[in-house]
Amino acid sequence: MHYAFMMLTESRGKALLRAAAVPTPASHELRSLDDVRACAVEYPVAVKAQVASGGRGKAGGIRKASSAPELEDAFGAIMGMTFAGEAPSSVLVEGWLEIERELYLAVTIDGSAGGFCVLYSPRGGIDIEDGPPPLSYPFGLARNFRAHALRRLLEPIERDVKVRERVISMARRLLEVATSNECTTVEINPLVVSRNGSLVAADAKIVLDEAAAFRKAATAAAITASREKAEREIRLCEEANLMLVWLDGEIGLISGGAGMTMAAMDAIDGAGARPSCFLDVSGNPTPAGFALAFDLLDRAPKVKGILVSMFGGGLHTDRVAKTIIEILKTRSSTKPVTLRLNGTRSDIATALLREAGYRNHATLESAVADIVRSVAGVAQ
Amino acid sequence: MSILLDAAARVLIVGITGKFGTFSVKDLAQSDTKVVAGVAPGRGGQAVEGVPVFSGVAAAVKETGANAALVYVPAVAALDAVLETIEAGCPLIAYPGDGLPVVDAMEMRAAALGHGAHLVGPNSPGLISPGKAKLGFMPSFCYAPGPIGVISRSGSLSYEACFRLSAAGLGQTSVIGIGGDPVRGVNATEAIALFHDDPQTRAIVYLGEIGGSEEYALAEYAKRADAKPSAALLVGRTAPVGKKMGHAAAMIGSYAEGWAAKVEALDRAGVVIARDLDGLAGAAASALARAMEPAA
Repeated sequence: MHYAFMMLTESRGKALLRAAAVPTPASHELRSLDDVRACAVEYPVAVKAQVASGGRGKAGGIRKASSAPELEDAFGAIMGMTFAGEAPSSVLVEGWLEIERELYLAVTIDGSAGGFCVLYSPRGGIDIEDGPPPLSYPFGLARNFRAHALRRLLEPIERDVKVRERVISMARRLLEVATSNECTTVEINPLVVSRNGSLVAADAKIVLDEAAAFRKAATAAAITASREKAEREIRLCEEANLMLVWLDGEIGLISGGAGMTMAAMDAIDGAGARPSCFLDVSGNPTPAGFALAFDLLDRAPKVKGILVSMFGGGLHTDRVAKTIIEILKTRSSTKPVTLRLNGTRSDIATALLREAGYRNHATLESAVADIVRSVAGVAQ
Repeated sequence: MSILLDAAARVLIVGITGKFGTFSVKDLAQSDTKVVAGVAPGRGGQAVEGVPVFSGVAAAVKETGANAALVYVPAVAALDAVLETIEAGCPLIAYPGDGLPVVDAMEMRAAALGHGAHLVGPNSPGLISPGKAKLGFMPSFCYAPGPIGVISRSGSLSYEACFRLSAAGLGQTSVIGIGGDPVRGVNATEAIALFHDDPQTRAIVYLGEIGGSEEYALAEYAKRADAKPSAALLVGRTAPVGKKMGHAAAMIGSYAEGWAAKVEALDRAGVVIARDLDGLAGAAASALARAMEPAA
């Protein structure tokens, strides 16, 4: 399994917040026009796309509706959009909040603290990234959270004593959400100070630690659901223990290990071309794994040529060479392929490839130059 | 010298009867490393490749004087296995496994710090002091003894980078994989301090990537007047924002986590930058040349 994190939609995130007694606006989750028509709300309302990625506000995924027809329009518009490639599963409708002030509050992981930190900014909202970085209170293990330590940090930047104290107790609750659900991020932006001074979580960005799925049934279920929604190619790769991220370029890259795959992407860029994917086959460097990798790249129209770059540590490159020779023999695609198998038993790999009529490049740089040249030749 | 691991290492393998465990018994023996004990619950009294197996770590340490542990157990059992080695008094532990819940990594780190032990990992090939000993599964042929201390967030990158350094005559005192996860045992700051204190390490090479903030530890160090010269290669220059590139921590969430911001900070602090793998040996050689200059 590749280790990753999973972001929840706002509506699922808010359910976790409510379970820890964090106030959220009254809401309805709508999936169809019938739901919209049956929904009795007091206008105006906020209409929000439910997607598992950030930045939807700036992308037009949050709208205001002041009447039933406006709600219907907003629903239709949002459900027709995509956000970072994802179509919304539903729309969340909430009463429009009377906002006194918008804050930013999060509990997340700080590697240098060896654990959790609290982040706070007295000015939250969609432009948070344009302002100064939030205040950070790193404390490591959850049991080392100290309200007085956070208070001392907040005093100079949050002058409103009531707000400050409410933020501190809210931070404690977010930490509870993070630990009881094994989340790597529990972020509320904006955390709204309402007219009566109380704090309301107007949004929720909650990221689950996928690695905890073996002891969190809800996390395991979220992974299954997200896999079903994922693109076919991504799903096939996850099932085969390959790691695929599509990129915009023309060179299909099959590589081993996250760091070396990024190094090869950078080398392609350095040679004046662009990678069309991050595809790490180190999790399954078998005939089945390579066959899937070649099949995906051969079918993808944007891929104009394929570079296989493997450095054998524990991996025996002569086995990889045999696998690739078999694939190349039966493959129908005419996209050019460049091979670079270095490391353990690469002298045997080179001999096997030569016998079969293929060249094994001695270095990553020479292989990259070769595939970039081949692809430029194809384009002409 | 070297950091943490030298020829006096007496290695204990937790999970010795598993696939990785049995592989490592032979692999470490070929790398001049003394494997003195194995642990597998319920298998005490047996032997693997002539290495005695114990049912618990405390007995293994007591009987064999083991002072370094390599822990090969699945993520579900990893926290308990690592706590057992720490509490048995093992001063050095490598946990290479990936897919470890972050809260378990936090507990491991805290326990190691509390006992004055050093934990390498999770999600790391481990630690090697070339020519002396190895506590991990990295391919030994990539390494050679020499004056450079290497710190890496990525296993695969460290193999090829060290292979290239060794081929260029730039051997290593120790190579430590600090791992690809956000919370780790020995982190960049601590690894740098260890190399700083090691008299045989003349220069430091840092192999980093996008995501997180670990690289800024090197920038901070390089600004010190007494800093050893350093070189860095950061991969992921062409990675898009907001996409996880294999490692849990390799994702650009903010500008500071991106390639350009990190390289700028390192460059300004005086770290020799390799723009790509091809430039690494040259960057390392020029850092080493600075170390060899007579003091002004």
